[in-house]
Amino acid sequence: MQDWHSLKFRIVVLGLIGWVFIAFAYAAEAAPPAQTPAEGQKIFQEKCVGCHTIGKGKLVGPDLQGITQKRAKAWLVQWITAPDKMLAAKDPIATQLVAEYNNLAMPNMALTDAQVASLIAYLETQSGGAAPQPTQPPQPQTQPAPAAVVGEPAAGKALFNGGQRFKNGGPPCMGCHSVGGIGALGGGALGPDLTGAYAKYNGDAGLTAFLNSAPTVTMNAVWARQPMTPQEQADLVAFLKQAAVTERPIDAVGQLAVLAVAGMIVLLVIAQLYWRKRLVAVRRPMVTKNRIA
Amino acid sequence: MQNATPLDILLFVAFPYLAVGLAIFVGVLRYFNDRFSFSSQSSQFLENRALFWGSVPWHYGIVLVLTAHLLAALFPTQWGNLIADQTRLYVLELTGLALALMAILGLTLLIVRRITNARAFSVTTFWDWVLLADLLLQVILGFWIALFYRWGSDWYLHTAVPWLWSLATFNPQIQYVTVLPQVVQWHFLNAFLITALFPFTRLVHFVTFPITYWWRPYQVVIWNRQPRTGKS
Repeated sequence: MQDWHSLKFRIVVLGLIGWVFIAFAYAAEAAPPAQTPAEGQKIFQEKCVGCHTIGKGKLVGPDLQGITQKRAKAWLVQWITAPDKMLAAKDPIATQLVAEYNNLAMPNMALTDAQVASLIAYLETQSGGAAPQPTQPPQPQTQPAPAAVVGEPAAGKALFNGGQRFKNGGPPCMGCHSVGGIGALGGGALGPDLTGAYAKYNGDAGLTAFLNSAPTVTMNAVWARQPMTPQEQADLVAFLKQAAVTERPIDAVGQLAVLAVAGMIVLLVIAQLYWRKRLVAVRRPMVTKNRIA
Repeated sequence: MQNATPLDILLFVAFPYLAVGLAIFVGVLRYFNDRFSFSSQSSQFLENRALFWGSVPWHYGIVLVLTAHLLAALFPTQWGNLIADQTRLYVLELTGLALALMAILGLTLLIVRRITNARAFSVTTFWDWVLLADLLLQVILGFWIALFYRWGSDWYLHTAVPWLWSLATFNPQIQYVTVLPQVVQWHFLNAFLITALFPFTRLVHFVTFPITYWWRPYQVVIWNRQPRTGKS
C-alpha cells in the first residue's frame, strides 16, 4: 500500500462516495402520484383484479363492493398496506378472512401510503354509498379469459417445465415453482409448491384471474412486461387442475445435496489423477539431491 | 421505482454504482501508480502441499461458477433456451452445486492453511483476511441459494439480470430484486461489496487471468545443475 494511498487520493475517493450518495438522495425523493379515484382505479386494474371483483362475486378473495362501508377505514388502510403484519399480530378480522378463503393470505403488495389512499378513494366511488346487494348471486367469473379458450393439460405441462416457451418470453414456471408430476428433482423452490394451487385459488375462475394479472410482487416484477396469453393461462390452469390430484409435493434438497457432494468428489479425484506428479516431477528431487550433495 | 424506499435505492442503486466506480477509478489509479502490486503475492515457496487442495478446487470452482453468472447475464435469451429443457437444467444446476462445494472446500482450506502455517500466516495482511472472509461468505450464500431457492439459473434471468441491465443502461429498476428473499439480496449486495474491495486488495490479480496461456508458445526451461560427480 504505497503512494496511491496518499492523502490526495483519499480525498478524491471520499469525494466520489459523497457525490454518488447526494445524487441518489435526489432520486429517492420521487414525487408521489396524486391520490385520486382514477389513480386508484389504475392500481386496482394492475394489482387487485387477480383476486378481487367489485360486484361480480368472489374470486380468489372477496368481492369488494361496499367494502368501505363494511370495514373501518383505518382497518382497510392497515390491511391493504401490510396484510402480513396484521396477520402476524393476529388481528381477529384478518385471521377469520384467511380461514374463510382457503387459508390463502392476501400478499403484501408493497403499496405506498399514497397508493393505498387512492385505492380506497376508488373503492369508495365504486360502493356508490349503497350497501352491498346480497341478493345478487355470485356470477362465475369469465372476465379475464373468454370462455372460448379451452385449456390443454399437456400443453400446460410443457409450459410449466420449459418444453414449450411462453410466447412473450416469460420463464418456465418450474424455475421457481414445483408441482407434483414433473421431473425427478422437481421444480424450483423460490416460490410455493403449486400442487394444491387449483383448489386454493378457487378453481378455473380464480386461477385464471390470478395468472392474468400475476398480482403478487414477485410474480408481477417478472410478468408485468411479458404477460401470458389467454391460451397459455388456460393451458396452465388445465395442467394445475390435473396436478392437483397427484399428491406428492417434491422436496429434493436431500437428493441434491448428496449429488452435489458426489459430483465434488469426482472432480477432486480427477484433479488428483491429473496432477498426481505435481510434487515428484522436477523441482523437489533436485532440491533434495542438492541438499544431500 | 414508485415503491422504492430510500434504503432500497441506497442499497440497490447507489451502492452498486459506487462499488463499480471505485473498482474502475481506484483500479486504474493503482495500475498507473503501483503496477507491480497487480498480483496475488505467491506463498507457494512457503508451503505447497495444502496450497494445492486449497487453490485448485477454489479457483476452478469459482472461475467456472462466475463464468456461468456472467454468460447468463450477458446472453439471457440464449441461456434461457439452454436451460428450458428439464434435463439440461438439472445437469447445469448439479454441476454448479458441485463446483460451488468445491470452491467452499478450497477456500476453507486456504483460510485454515493461512492460520495454521506460521510462514503463510506471517505474510497475510488484514485486508487479505477481510477478503478471504467476504469471499467465503459469498460462496456459502450462493450455495445456500442454489440449494434452497431453486432454480437460480432460471429466475436469475428474470430478476437480477434485468436489474443489472437497468443499472448498466442508467435506468435503474429495482423492483426485480427488492421483492426477493433476504438471503438472495445479501448475495447481490455482497457481490458489489467484493467489487468495491477489488481495487484495494490482492483481488486485483483477477484481471491478470492468464488467458494467453491458451495460445502462447511453449517455454523452454533449462536447469543448470551441477554434475553430481567430478566436481572441479
